[in-house]
Amino acid sequence: MSLSLRPMLSSLLRSRTGAILVALQIMIALAVMVNAVWIVSQRIADIEEPTGIDDPNTFVVAIAGLTNRFDLSSSLAQDLAYLRGLPGVVAATASESVPLSGDGEDTELWLQPGQRGRAVVVGEMQMDTSGLQTLDTRLIAGRNFRQDEIQHFAKGQTDLTPPDIIVSRTLANTLFPGENALGKVVYGDAGKPITIVGIVRDFIGPIGLGNDPYAYAIYPQTPGSYGSYDCLVRTLPGRAEAIMRTAAQHLADSNLERVVLYAHPLGYFHRQMIAENRNMAIFLTTVTALILSVSCLGIFGLATYNVSTRTKQIGTRRAVGARKRDIISYFMVENAFILSAGVLAGCALALGTGYWLSTQYALPRLDLYYLVGGVLFLWIVGELAAWQPARRAASVPPSVATRTV
Amino acid sequence: MLSYYLRLASTSFRRTPGLTALMICAIAFGIGACIVTLTVYHAMSGNPIWWKSNVLYAVTMDSWDPAQPADPERPTLPPPQLTYHDATYLMTSSIPKRKAIMTQLLGMLSGAPGQKAPIPVITRATGGDFFPMFDIPFEYGGGWDAAADQGPRPVIVLSQSTNDKVFGGANSVGRSVVWNGRQFRIVGVLKNWQPAPKFYDLNEGAFSRSDDVYVPFNWGPTLQQLPSGHSSGWGSQQASDYQDYINAENTWIEMWVELPTPASRANMLAFMNSYWAAQRKAGRFQRPLNNHLTDVSDWLKVNQVVTADNSILLRLAFAFLAVCLINTIGILLAKFLKRSAVTGLLRALGASRRQIFWQHLVEVAAIAGAGAAAGVIVGAIGLKAVQILYATGNSDLGGDNYAALAHFDAAGIGWALALAALSTVAAGLYPAWAIGRLPPSRYLKSQ
Amino acid sequence: MLKMQDVSKVYRTDLIETHALRNFSVEVKSGQFVAVSGPSGSGKTTFLNVAGLLETFDTGTYELDGKDVSRLSDDARSRMRNEKIGFIFQSFNLIPDLDIYDNVDVPLRYRGMKAAERNQRISKALELVGLASRMKHMPSQLSGGQQQRVAIARAIAGDPALILADEPTGNLDSLMARQVMDLLEQINEMGTTIVLVTHDPELARRAQRNIHVVDGVVIDSAPYQRRNPADEATAGAEG
Repeated sequence: MSLSLRPMLSSLLRSRTGAILVALQIMIALAVMVNAVWIVSQRIADIEEPTGIDDPNTFVVAIAGLTNRFDLSSSLAQDLAYLRGLPGVVAATASESVPLSGDGEDTELWLQPGQRGRAVVVGEMQMDTSGLQTLDTRLIAGRNFRQDEIQHFAKGQTDLTPPDIIVSRTLANTLFPGENALGKVVYGDAGKPITIVGIVRDFIGPIGLGNDPYAYAIYPQTPGSYGSYDCLVRTLPGRAEAIMRTAAQHLADSNLERVVLYAHPLGYFHRQMIAENRNMAIFLTTVTALILSVSCLGIFGLATYNVSTRTKQIGTRRAVGARKRDIISYFMVENAFILSAGVLAGCALALGTGYWLSTQYALPRLDLYYLVGGVLFLWIVGELAAWQPARRAASVPPSVATRTV
Repeated sequence: MLSYYLRLASTSFRRTPGLTALMICAIAFGIGACIVTLTVYHAMSGNPIWWKSNVLYAVTMDSWDPAQPADPERPTLPPPQLTYHDATYLMTSSIPKRKAIMTQLLGMLSGAPGQKAPIPVITRATGGDFFPMFDIPFEYGGGWDAAADQGPRPVIVLSQSTNDKVFGGANSVGRSVVWNGRQFRIVGVLKNWQPAPKFYDLNEGAFSRSDDVYVPFNWGPTLQQLPSGHSSGWGSQQASDYQDYINAENTWIEMWVELPTPASRANMLAFMNSYWAAQRKAGRFQRPLNNHLTDVSDWLKVNQVVTADNSILLRLAFAFLAVCLINTIGILLAKFLKRSAVTGLLRALGASRRQIFWQHLVEVAAIAGAGAAAGVIVGAIGLKAVQILYATGNSDLGGDNYAALAHFDAAGIGWALALAALSTVAAGLYPAWAIGRLPPSRYLKSQ
Repeated sequence: MLKMQDVSKVYRTDLIETHALRNFSVEVKSGQFVAVSGPSGSGKTTFLNVAGLLETFDTGTYELDGKDVSRLSDDARSRMRNEKIGFIFQSFNLIPDLDIYDNVDVPLRYRGMKAAERNQRISKALELVGLASRMKHMPSQLSGGQQQRVAIARAIAGDPALILADEPTGNLDSLMARQVMDLLEQINEMGTTIVLVTHDPELARRAQRNIHVVDGVVIDSAPYQRRNPADEATAGAEG
């Protein structure tokens, strides 16, 4: 390279305010970008968690009957019979809570009786024998519940320990890592033994995205303790909405001792479940893109300004024999200095911000690969932003040197 | 002189319209992003009862499992709710000026004239003190007294929206409705009351809509109706009926007290602690003493009403504004420096440093002002976008309704003005000062 | 009017010190028309900058209109420039964005004058230089000579005691240059002190007195034969 760094550095130092300002922008842009991309990547991973159930073709009608005259179990039986009889319905079940809704129960299962040994917090879902078919979560091992195993709740009764449960694959592995959980015994709060009779594929249950969204136990029970139940209905593809409207209307009109609390496709709950992550990702991405654009404009502006104030100098350099590409590399190298200073400070700020976010908001620690990627990306984009002004500088004619402007 | 500076500024803008537009855009986007996040953040961090926030206290006691805390992630906190046993005992205290326990019940309402089918209503079962304690405004009628609490008497208060729905907004006080199969007499209809956050019960979503109807607390136990709101318990008892449920270590009741003086607060805490000690002797409360009276603003903080995402976004918006302002400083400096010949001339003609400084600051202020005006538009559009993004919010069973928080109002314009002033100071001070420092002779000859 | 005693001015950079003025002493009496000449790099411009309060100096004393200006604050110097001094530059230095009227208006604005008085002064100054009809023109619409006459109008609009002119005809052809010099003489006759910096001996000869500067030192300040010998010139040239 036919340019020496010393004069460049000295001219950089002379017009240092502009350079410092651009480096500051780069610094903030890098710190924001790296952390934002890191957060967004996790949010997208959360958003893309498979639900494990046939949520596009499943809907829920929530029913409450709160008068003394209301006979919950016969109403529930009637409603399920009606729903199962509708053309296009694949399966229907009743539950205390709705998968993906974010509103559910959890409980603890113990490996030894009397609340001793290791305890595992599990999501709990109560369903009858149609439950697995309704959710479209299939057995990997073991069997479904038998009709005679299903327990019915009286109003006010909250926790009955069933003799048998079906667990998700994740829960089976958590309870008995490296072992076959089928047929193993666990213990509920009251200390009664519970046998694992089936293992199903993972699905996201009512609690939604928590620490472990897939650790679920299915209890062979029908709802009733709160005077309400949620009818989950799975339909043939594409027919959920239409069947839901008909069903909700019928259920609301057929018995005035109860009310339909709401009717929604499960997709509605899924959208809600991911809404916060999705919106965070959208906002972070938008603002990061804006910060990058503004910073690139800053680089572009500074380079343009430097070129315009050094026209005479450029002409002189050309007059004494500098080639066009020498001029271009002069400005690109100068820009690279500023970028490097900004990126270097930005690394520190990015790490600091990442550390602060992880302690303040309990987010996972910043992955260093993201920092490396961010540095490279910003460096390249920053050089591209200076390319056009550098080209313009190269087109300054050598004759400028002799003019007295 | 100001008008002269403004004229000079407008000449300067006309000479470099592109740069001027760029600066205005940068400031507009920075301010717009800040307006959006500030509005949501402000709504989230609001204290809906600030005027008596420091005399209202949430009552909590750590009745939890000796083996582990109620929330393993925040082990120092007691559970946010009380057991039936503790709540009903604490209600016997006469120390608080007002006191109320409360829970959420599912309800169905019928029996209004012309009403065919029952409608679902989210019901707050609470005490008569609830209304005066929280300064809840009534459209018609009022709350109920202690005698109605004890009965419980079949009295009911409707929210404005429920009264609109079933009575078309007419004065329904004195009329009868059927709630969960029983006749209730309407004693009051609220004005529109939507505290956000819903400080008195944050468990169902801090920004859920307020309850539809209010009945005396004892109707829950009387009708043996389990709470539909948040409930959390520990221990090994099986609850085979309602009585088992309320006797067990289940926390499901929120309790608030009004303690107007520090002395009454100390007395109340002493009362709780002596109850705790007695119960501990009897075998309960095996965890360390962890009784709290938490006022409203602390309660909102403890329960992390402002989500982490929101504080991150707020900081992000300010980082963005900072970048925009730094960018603007750079452009302004370059612009001012390019004109330094003219500035040198003005100095030669007798302009003082201060005059040069003000002239440039006026120019910056004009840009920041225009940026703020455009920022208001960007912010309004951004808030609209937030509303659309959050439009999926669950409203039927009272999930969080963030869309309602993202409303553009006078506060948004206030933020814009404040940020514009801040931007002027931040972006303009240095360039305006630096340009005034240039020696006047330097640029005269070389033109 | 203007009295410098042993003024020196050193420009310092990282590498070199340049002594632009060394023990520079000169006195210009009120109402005089003085030329300052010398080769390029001799210190003429530095003298002008110091005399016009555009730059400070390192040692010595400087009295302007009877007032010691050595220790004045920047604000006070600005005010003196505004009220006591009018500048005329080689390259006119009109503000390209402002029309003729507004250009002449600039120093009056900074003096904080009322609109009526400004208006009256601007009209009077522009009439004197013969450009009253061009008030609404932009500088780019005028010839070089006209632009310099606007600059003269700007210099005299504030009724300064002293006009400092830096090669005022350097960018003009000879006809225009003569008009400008005539105008300056006319202004001088009305009582304004004029200091004209030039390297052109022809122009210098039109002044009552010539101060010759070489290497930052006054080496000769011989009075010229002038139409008006009553204006006797004295020069303190001990340097």
